[in-house]
Amino acid sequence: MNSLNTYLIISAFLFSIGLVGVLQRRNLIGMLISVELMLNGANLNFMAFNRFLTPEPVVGQIIALAIMGLAAAEAAIGLSIILALYRKMHSINIEQAQRLKG
Amino acid sequence: MDAIFKDPVLLATVVGTSLPFLSMAVILIFTRHNPMLSSRISVTSIVVAAVCALLNLAKVAGASHPFRFETAWMSSGNFHLTFGYYLDPLSALMLTIVAVIACLVQIYSLGYMSGDPGYSRYYAFQSLFAWAMMNMVIASTLLQLFIFWELVGLASYMLIGFYYEKFSASQAGKKAFVMTRVGDVGFFLGIIILTLGFGNLGIPDLNNAPGTGTITTGFITMAALLVFCGVVGKSAQFPLITWLPDAMEGPTPVSALLHSATMVAAGVYVFSRIFPFFAASPNAMLIALAIGTVTMLLASTMAMTTYDLKQVWAYSTVSQLGMMVMSLAAGGYFAGVFHLTTHAGFKALLFLCSGIFIHEYHTNDMRVIGKQGGRKQLVPMICITVGALALSGVPPFSGFFSKEAILGALNAQANPIWLFAGLFGAFLTAYYSFRLIFHLLFPKGGIEEKHAVHEMDSHGHKEEHHGGLFWAMAVPVMILACVTVVLGFAEHSLQGYIMAGGGAVKHASTAATGGAAHGVVGHELLVILGISAGLVGIILAWFEYGRKGASRNGFLSYFPPVWKLFDARWYMDAFFRWFLDTAIYSGLTSIFTRNDRRIIDGGIDGICFFTETGGRLFSFMQSGMLQYNLLIMVLVAGLAMLFFIV
Amino acid sequence: MDTSSSLTALAQAAFWITIGFTITGACIAVFARNILYNVLGLALALTGVAGIYLFLGSLFIALMQLLIYVGAICIAIVFAIMLSRPLHLDTPPRPMPKVVMAVAASAVFFIGLAGVALKTKWVPAIERSTDYSVVTIGHMFLTRYELVFEVISLVLLVAIIGAIITAGFSRRLSS
Repeated sequence: MNSLNTYLIISAFLFSIGLVGVLQRRNLIGMLISVELMLNGANLNFMAFNRFLTPEPVVGQIIALAIMGLAAAEAAIGLSIILALYRKMHSINIEQAQRLKG
Repeated sequence: MDAIFKDPVLLATVVGTSLPFLSMAVILIFTRHNPMLSSRISVTSIVVAAVCALLNLAKVAGASHPFRFETAWMSSGNFHLTFGYYLDPLSALMLTIVAVIACLVQIYSLGYMSGDPGYSRYYAFQSLFAWAMMNMVIASTLLQLFIFWELVGLASYMLIGFYYEKFSASQAGKKAFVMTRVGDVGFFLGIIILTLGFGNLGIPDLNNAPGTGTITTGFITMAALLVFCGVVGKSAQFPLITWLPDAMEGPTPVSALLHSATMVAAGVYVFSRIFPFFAASPNAMLIALAIGTVTMLLASTMAMTTYDLKQVWAYSTVSQLGMMVMSLAAGGYFAGVFHLTTHAGFKALLFLCSGIFIHEYHTNDMRVIGKQGGRKQLVPMICITVGALALSGVPPFSGFFSKEAILGALNAQANPIWLFAGLFGAFLTAYYSFRLIFHLLFPKGGIEEKHAVHEMDSHGHKEEHHGGLFWAMAVPVMILACVTVVLGFAEHSLQGYIMAGGGAVKHASTAATGGAAHGVVGHELLVILGISAGLVGIILAWFEYGRKGASRNGFLSYFPPVWKLFDARWYMDAFFRWFLDTAIYSGLTSIFTRNDRRIIDGGIDGICFFTETGGRLFSFMQSGMLQYNLLIMVLVAGLAMLFFIV
Repeated sequence: MDTSSSLTALAQAAFWITIGFTITGACIAVFARNILYNVLGLALALTGVAGIYLFLGSLFIALMQLLIYVGAICIAIVFAIMLSRPLHLDTPPRPMPKVVMAVAASAVFFIGLAGVALKTKWVPAIERSTDYSVVTIGHMFLTRYELVFEVISLVLLVAIIGAIITAGFSRRLSS
């Protein structure tokens, strides 16, 4: 179908959009969403390589599944941290969470 | 595992030497709050151990060569270390002595320690003590021996400091531990040197080493002297004497065990264990001979001034140990081992008898005990006299035979001074032991009748009340007394038994005596000299303490400075204290303290100061903004990527 | 224009539409001010990615994507939004310097990634199997890639416990 590069560019784009979100959103949940986008970009990369390059197309799918599992774990932890932070600071603004600055 | 059950000797050894440990574990873990059960467990296990030891003694006698069971423990390059048992006649005999004496002492303790709050703890430590000592005896390598040697030290520390709420007891335990440790450092250095220079720590291999010519005499001298340091510490030889008299702070049965078969015997045992190795170095033997002689004379003089019942026997232990070391160093291998055997018997007897007096009159002072009617206690009085006769070397008691053997060994030395020192020691021994006996028998100013009657009443009452307890103490004492009476006649069979296995031992023994076959004095004359040395001592004691109208002060009281010197243990403790204060505390310690304060503490403080100041200086760069940090990171990563692809 | 080429053209069109959905969703997810729109954008982008997986030939992964991401993670995020109270109250103006810097850094990163993708000469394996079946994935998961499976299970377990403790203990501490 389309060439490998198309997919790679798309995945790079998804990753970069996610990066913009992580770097710029002040809302922690927004950051989390952006991180999910980045993970998807990476996942897409694996799937593309799996489709075009590998001798066994099973490997990439297994990696993709593993990343999905990781993403689920990350979301669970991230959300629970957000909840805990909200209880402590009554805000989920990342710019107010700077107690470590001292 | 199968091998254990196929070989009866191995089975008996394993069972006998591991049961006490099990009993200690069980007592400490499960039955600490049930003293009755604890003592039963401990006594049962030690009785089984004694039976196993006797079995092994018989088996070894029938065997043509020593039993050796070993498994590999560590292996590094050419150096192989094994772990196992080595049962030759010597270790079988020693194992029997340890097990039997420990057994009798534990039975005795049923009476002596009854009602003590630490009853279970006492039996746990007794088991530990017996276990460590038995395993030390049958260790097959020097390192294994050293491990159990240290365990013996640990167990004796715990038992000496048994009444830990008493300050002097805990101090005495500490002293015993630290002073023996000084010697053990030397022992361990010796083991290291042997490992480096010889590469094999197996005891039979060590003993055969001098004959093969693989190592030089100088090396043997160095290694032997270092190992002898351990002997000095453990067997309380000069200059590490003073811990042993203090070690009577523990319960009396502990002293009996400590002074006869276990702790202090360990040192002499090690000496005899690697005797052929020692004997290959004449210089080491000479030094050992000198140390043994000095020890014997010093300790004998110390014993002449004290009024403490147990302390007299403690000093006499030191002097008898000195005598054993002398004998071994003079090449009298069998004489030394034989004296170790007989001494174990009669010294345990003496301590256990003293224990009965102490238990009865609640004092250690021989004058007070005598005044309160000590001689009315028939069983301990007769037995203690038997023990004292044996100690003084009066025929036909066991001490006579072994002392004669030692004098024979000293006689074979070219220099007569050793023989005269031995005879003088025998004289002093007889004097101070009968000084004690006459103090008990004929107290100054007679028995205080009223007091005595009262004591008799309470004693009679006690016998009704604690009959079993009294006999628990009396029976072991009587058994030991019988052994003391008959053991001497077994000299020749024992000699055949001990000398049967070891060609190396026999060879070394004849080599060390220097081949002076005829000796300084003839054999008959020697026997007469030996007996008369003892008898003169007894008669002198009779004149001063025994006969009617005697001054009961001793000839030493006419020389107050000498009395004071002996009483203060030749100022050895004072010297150690002074040495510690000046050299260690105010010298080394202050240097180390200064190093600690200035360099180590100061250095760390400096580092802390530097870190903190640096942190303060650079903290303005930290904004606390997570996203900016991340931004920089991403930017740098992206730029790096661009750099690499362009 | 014969049928096969028209089918190809149709597939091409569908592909680009999917990509359009994905990118639109991603942009909504990142740039919208309202957090709920973000989540919906994320769901859209993830669905688009699932479509791309279909084009990459793996129906199974596409379905898993829908199930895990769209079904589970988005719902969890919505849940978290509902638990944490008034988010819409504070909508301060965008800090423009920050946005610019973020976009610039990401652009650098994107250019880097794209450069790597385009400059590298990708060489396919000589022999390539075409076995995309779920059965093979299952087999592989329980044989050669057993470790991945186990590690993921462990990570999920730890994450669950950690999430409970983090969220639960902070409640007790703060109250």
